[in-house]
Amino acid sequence: MRLFKIKKSNLFPFLRGLEGFGELWGPVRKGEKVVYARAKPEEFDLKALRTMIPAKKFLLPPKFTSLKFRESRWEDDYRPKRKVVFGLHPCGIHALNIYHRFYTRLYSDPYYERAKEATLIVGLSCVPDEYCFCYATGTSTVNEGFDLFLTDLGDRLLVWVGSPKGEESLKLVGKYLEDVEQKDISDYVAWRKRRDAAFKLKVDLDGMPEIVSFSYDSPVWEKMGKACLSCGTCTMVCPTCTCFDLEDEYDLKRDEMHRQRFWYSCVFREYSMVAGGHNFREARSERLKLWYTHKLVGFMSEYGAPACVGCSRCVVSCPVGINVVSVVRALRNERTAALWTKMEVSDA
Amino acid sequence: MSKPRIGIYGLTGCAGDQLNILNCEDELLKLFDIFEIKSFVMASSAADEESPLDVAFVEGSVSTEKDLEHLKEIRKKSRLLVAIGHCAVFGGVQSMFTGKKWEETYRAVYGKKDAVSLTRPLPPKPLSAYVKVDAVLPGCPIEKEPFLKLAGLLAKGVVPRHPDFPVCAECKWKENECLLLKGEICLGPLTNSGCGAICPSLNIPCIGCWGPIEKENWEAEAFLLKENGFSVEEVVKRFAIFGGEERAEKLKKFLEGKEG
Ligand code: SF4
Ligand code: SF4
Ligand code: SF4
Ligand code: SF4
Repeated sequence: MRLFKIKKSNLFPFLRGLEGFGELWGPVRKGEKVVYARAKPEEFDLKALRTMIPAKKFLLPPKFTSLKFRESRWEDDYRPKRKVVFGLHPCGIHALNIYHRFYTRLYSDPYYERAKEATLIVGLSCVPDEYCFCYATGTSTVNEGFDLFLTDLGDRLLVWVGSPKGEESLKLVGKYLEDVEQKDISDYVAWRKRRDAAFKLKVDLDGMPEIVSFSYDSPVWEKMGKACLSCGTCTMVCPTCTCFDLEDEYDLKRDEMHRQRFWYSCVFREYSMVAGGHNFREARSERLKLWYTHKLVGFMSEYGAPACVGCSRCVVSCPVGINVVSVVRALRNERTAALWTKMEVSDA
Repeated sequence: MSKPRIGIYGLTGCAGDQLNILNCEDELLKLFDIFEIKSFVMASSAADEESPLDVAFVEGSVSTEKDLEHLKEIRKKSRLLVAIGHCAVFGGVQSMFTGKKWEETYRAVYGKKDAVSLTRPLPPKPLSAYVKVDAVLPGCPIEKEPFLKLAGLLAKGVVPRHPDFPVCAECKWKENECLLLKGEICLGPLTNSGCGAICPSLNIPCIGCWGPIEKENWEAEAFLLKENGFSVEEVVKRFAIFGGEERAEKLKKFLEGKEG
């Protein structure tokens, strides 16, 4: 992997230079939330850790028209704009790698492929807050899945080049690049040590696949199902959730059908419903079991890593406190103060 | 293929749904183009009530004997019957009082039991309480875009199915902060999507005007709101507006049971 550095004072001109690739998007604070938005580099929040919705929105938007058709012909004019997406942290890039596997391994998804081609991923280092737990999911550092990655060392940033596309993009910003010296490397090692020591949230995922599998009949699921609103928030905000649905809409003006593709969720009741009206997971508890089995067991046995990258979006988003951290603790019989654990299981 | 024949009717309601159809200005001509409109009294008094219809759109709740007769006539002559608007689909705001409570309210408003002599009043109910409904378009009132999409599909011979997932999905697609987390009474999780999460996108909590989703988990929502410090009255009131009295009653029992 090639490595350069840039002066901190050159960060904004560097990002502006990358605009030669496409529109510049990055984390922007709006009130209490942070969202990836198109903005000037000066407007980016360099300390932000988790955006409301992760960068998966660049690869498959929440809702888009995937096909237009009439009786005898069809047209697929989905052409995502070229974008530079700045500010993904290691967890977010790991999530994109999971996304990539899902959308290319068995069948290649043409919409995903087009967006991927049109997107330049520029990562940025981070220091965890009280919610981050990527150390537990093995996603606190990243070696692949980005085009460029910047590590902030205070007065300068290291620039890691992660792909041929990243290499190519450097032509746009060549004048800001400097060679690294021994001192940069030793400063980087020291920075890593400080960051590793900064994690506060303790989550233990050791043996989780077995624990989840053997807890299949645990009353914990029932309890969770009682409290879950089936709102779908957890799946929308999770960077590794990939599910979508399709629906044909009629465009009256053009006399055309539009096949809409939109984010969907396994916690919705209709998700597991099949023709004839049978529902494989009628109970909310069954649907939650599916989610957690997928994140902590299924993916693990297939790829040797959980489908959770420790970003804690579910932790800060679920209105009743159902999230990877509280569920793992409950399944381990550890204490958790999550709201859902307080709701009594009864047949009201 | 001859044009599908349609009729647009109103029972007891504010006529806002029919008005929103009229408001489809740009697309209205197109609608007249793809459908043969046999009856739309709000737009034209020249109605043909004799011919059979392919599709009847009906707004309003069944709140009088006359409504009921009218509805049955419409049903008889129509191949498909589509309920439009919250009143037709769920009974509307007027259905928040049923049973005894409805009688009391009626008396309080009109003075005595048979104050209105033109027709006999009935406790307000959705169309599906009396006749088979083939498709629904919720909303209070219905929105232009969803209506046009629904009409378009019907013109193509497709019987549309209303998706059964909550407002929260559309709310998250728009990257809104969750108002439940901010300590407000937002009914998004219990409410049918389709509106595009207009209210939460403007920082206004969802009051449920698209009606409840199937198998809504109101117990969990009620539990959460109580944990967030709301009183039984506040929660019950909000739930009753578009959820019907039955839901509000169940909820009250649930909340009070937990208090004792
Ligand atoms: S979870 Fe880890 S990689 Fe993600 S923002 Fe927090 S510290 Fe950074
Ligand atoms: S687990 Fe939480 S966020 Fe997910 S659907 Fe249930 S209530 Fe919503
Ligand atoms: S399960 Fe939760 S913590 Fe894990 S990746 Fe998804 S949102 Fe992040
Ligand atoms: S603000 Fe309301 S509609 Fe939006 S996610 Fe929260 S509960 Fe759902």
